[in-house]
Amino acid sequence: MKKMNKTVLVVDDEADVRNYLQSALVNNGFDVITASDGLEAIEILKKTIPDLISLDLVMPRHSGIKFYHDLQKNKAWSKIPVLIVTGHARDNLGKVDFENLMMQGPGVYLEKPVKPEKYIEKVCLLLNIEIPEELKKKQEETEDSVRQQILDSLSKADTETLKKAFEALNKK
Amino acid sequence: MENLHELIAEQFFDIVPFNIAINDRNLNIIRANANFKEYFGEWEGKKCYEIYKKSPHQCKHCRIQDVFNYGITNVLNESGYDKNNRLCHYIVHLAPLKNKDGVVEYVVEMSTDITETTRYQREYDLLFEKVPSYVAVIDSNYRIIRANKRLRETFGEIKGKHCYEVYKKRKKRCRRCPAAITFKDGRDHFSSEIGTTFSGEETRYYVNTAALSKNEKGVQLVIEIATDITEITELQDNLRKSHDYYATLIENSEEGIIALNEKNKTIIFNNSAKKILSWNSYKKPVYNKLKELLPKEFFGNPNKKGIIVKKEETTILDTKNNEIPVRFNAIELRSKKDILGRVAFIQDLRIIKELENKRLEAERLGAVGQTVAGLAHTIKNVLMGLEGGMYIVDTGLRQGEPKRIVEGWEILQRNFYKTTDLVKGFLSFAKGKIPTLVPTDPNQIVRDIVNLYYETAKSQNVELVMNLGKTSYNFPLDPEGIEACLTNLISNAIDAAMMREDKKGRVEIRTRFKHATLVFEVSDNGCGMDSEVIQKIFTTFFTTKGNKGTGLGLLTVNKIVKEHGGSLEVESKVDEGSTFRIILPLKRLEMIAKQAQSKKK
Repeated sequence: MKKMNKTVLVVDDEADVRNYLQSALVNNGFDVITASDGLEAIEILKKTIPDLISLDLVMPRHSGIKFYHDLQKNKAWSKIPVLIVTGHARDNLGKVDFENLMMQGPGVYLEKPVKPEKYIEKVCLLLNIEIPEELKKKQEETEDSVRQQILDSLSKADTETLKKAFEALNKK
Repeated sequence: MENLHELIAEQFFDIVPFNIAINDRNLNIIRANANFKEYFGEWEGKKCYEIYKKSPHQCKHCRIQDVFNYGITNVLNESGYDKNNRLCHYIVHLAPLKNKDGVVEYVVEMSTDITETTRYQREYDLLFEKVPSYVAVIDSNYRIIRANKRLRETFGEIKGKHCYEVYKKRKKRCRRCPAAITFKDGRDHFSSEIGTTFSGEETRYYVNTAALSKNEKGVQLVIEIATDITEITELQDNLRKSHDYYATLIENSEEGIIALNEKNKTIIFNNSAKKILSWNSYKKPVYNKLKELLPKEFFGNPNKKGIIVKKEETTILDTKNNEIPVRFNAIELRSKKDILGRVAFIQDLRIIKELENKRLEAERLGAVGQTVAGLAHTIKNVLMGLEGGMYIVDTGLRQGEPKRIVEGWEILQRNFYKTTDLVKGFLSFAKGKIPTLVPTDPNQIVRDIVNLYYETAKSQNVELVMNLGKTSYNFPLDPEGIEACLTNLISNAIDAAMMREDKKGRVEIRTRFKHATLVFEVSDNGCGMDSEVIQKIFTTFFTTKGNKGTGLGLLTVNKIVKEHGGSLEVESKVDEGSTFRIILPLKRLEMIAKQAQSKKK
């Protein structure tokens, strides 16, 4: 494994997600710092400037959008590339925040659930570094699998359709 | 015969019922009878004009002079002044007394007083013209021989015309004619007629016919006095319209309206009242029947403002003995100081209650809908967890790190249990029901939960405190539902309070009963929430507990509270803590309890 010499700050309120993203990054040679919400992340930024921030949008205490605005206010922080990782891109809870953010902001996002290959690919893209060889292979292997198809369609299904599907099931 | 002449000469002069005076050529009164003196006063040595006219000058046109000149008798209608200087009217016959040669030597003036008659005449004329009616005198051919100005102005020229031509503009006699009957029987008759004025407008009048003169052949003249009632008819018309207007309003009001007059007769019993009371007869219910159906307060005395009873919610019995929930207001009907009766306004609350139920249902289904939307997100999170777990297990296997495998496996397990919880919670949430409310002591529910959680909380450095209000009342509650709500709120509060670094977590549970409302409060001194989070906690599967929560807890609380007809409030300040408040109005609890009962039946 090649050492990347890049530090990624992972901000997510769910420990399992933090753990998962951290593992994926570490396995691919990145250095990782984690924060469980926006406030904690700001404390970290005061000491260390990472090369990239991986940010969840909906979090208690200090949400992703607030944190993003904090970043923009600070000259040094505003230059850090941000990768949005959210489960709320299409629902009532996150839609407005998400769209506002996309209009003005980073333009790159991943919707949960996130596959490790995709995640690393986007991180590399944002940091302008080459995607590791072994990752490319893995990606090709899984690309066509049925599992991937189901996951993709589920993650992209809009809530209205899900609602209808649920109602139909409920009637039975 | 001699004797008779003498007697006449002596006495006749004084016994004739006239005022007699004799004038010479110089207009001196040379002789007059006692009646004359009685009427005009002392006359001796006076000129005629001094006596008749009480004037010092001779009249401009002297009629006596005429008689002296032409020797013919003259009858005049004169006015002068009597002995008291009062204006008087008299008819005077001027007759010449001639000598053997036919020369007029004296003029005899024989006058009789007509002052009274003249006044009557004047009065009659005045009445005829000024009475606010149309007056006409008609002969037996129904020809108008006299009519007052008002009639002529309204109906046009009368000369030589028949009454039917003038009044009705028709060519033949009317079929029903009060004048005809008067001509027959000589009595007064009345009738209401519609005529046509000069300008062609319809006019309504009330006519009275009376015999004016009779002879042996029967009635010769009839006087017709007609009073215009067009305006009165219009007023009556307007009154009827306004009555119809209010009657329609009352009849079609959604509110039941029942009014009694001062003698307790039922005057108004509108459609809605019929519907509410299931009253099928076309007759209005009588007083005694109403006494059975309506609250007894309606038959009591009003307060100073005239309000008899004001009940926002009560029940009345319909004719089928069903209890009908209604709003019942009654007032006394007054017109200035007169009491006209009493009226009750009844609003059927069944419709409103049904609407309220539908709204509750809509709210509940709305909450379910939002939940479904949130479900997608939760599924994504679970998938994310599974993805992460697999990856970490994978990594551990590949790199030969058992620690990682265990770690990944735990993530997988957590997400599996989360799925199970999610499905269970969601199924119970989606199960909509009318809760069965039974009399429950709210404080006992709180005590039970606190007993259950006390030790667990203590081990996490959180103190559970109860602050229970006096509620001797047994409230209609779904004890399981309320217990679920409080358990949820209390465990949330403990989770928040245990995060404190100083280990001084505190959760207080309060109950109180005020203003007919039962309140449960759960306060913690945890981290609190900002307005953004508060906004989101009810709307979806929002959770601030990371992997631990499904985000269904508060949704479930909200749902149960709504099923009780209540509301859920939140107050929170970042770093100070949060208070969740369940507010249950007693009125709605009772309503829901009744509903559930009636559904069971």
